[in-house]
Amino acid sequence: MSDNLIRHEPVSDAPFVADGVRISLAPPMQRHALRARNAEDLERLLQVKIPRQIGASEGGIMCLGPDEWLLRADVDAPIPTGDGLPVAITDVSERSICLVIEGPRASEILMAGCPLDLNQFAVGRATRTIYETVEIIILREAEDRFHVEVWRSFSEWLWTAMTTAARH
Amino acid sequence: MILIHCPYCDEKRPEIEFANAGQAHIARPLDPSGQNDAEWEDYLFIRANPRGRHHERWRHIHGCGRFFNAVRDTVTDKFETTYKAGEPRR
Repeated sequence: MSDNLIRHEPVSDAPFVADGVRISLAPPMQRHALRARNAEDLERLLQVKIPRQIGASEGGIMCLGPDEWLLRADVDAPIPTGDGLPVAITDVSERSICLVIEGPRASEILMAGCPLDLNQFAVGRATRTIYETVEIIILREAEDRFHVEVWRSFSEWLWTAMTTAARH
Repeated sequence: MILIHCPYCDEKRPEIEFANAGQAHIARPLDPSGQNDAEWEDYLFIRANPRGRHHERWRHIHGCGRFFNAVRDTVTDKFETTYKAGEPRR
């Protein structure tokens, strides 16, 4: 990401606030797709603990599948490339944006379009799932705060769907 | 909505996260050029399409992304069991 480029966010910079819920755009961050057959290889390279259980998240790393993780970090954090190791680290920072859904009605707004029972979704859990027809990644940051990762081209539609749900 | 047990996530997930990927346990011939046309046609196109118990591949595409095998009844749409890819037929 270069500072010389002008960022064009696909959704509003101003948060949407309705009764019991606030939907806002998270600041830019680095995202890396991590793939490896052995999580130990990634642990040695990144010097952090890698969650093994699908759905677990730890230190900004979410375990999405048996050999797939999503790493989210600050824009200026150094991320090794893993040259020569049997791992794949792919920069997907600009592939998606993150919407922050917070407030007592946050889970209700998400469940308006997502078939998972988020009342059973523990804090710290993360999963890929679907909202109506759009693929998203949900991370429960706190009891009443969720991060929703959505591909950039779908985000305008998702913003409309969620703000519409929040108005009702 | 049907809930399907994903053997990798080890939990029941809503059906819209999944995609069907056709009949299971069809092994690609190890030597394709050694096949005659009838054998190759059989491998590529001929499927069982039973009424009742059917072995299928499914993919948890909007979840962990993995392919797995399932036994589904094509009449009742009920999933009897699901198991990881590579495990023997049930």
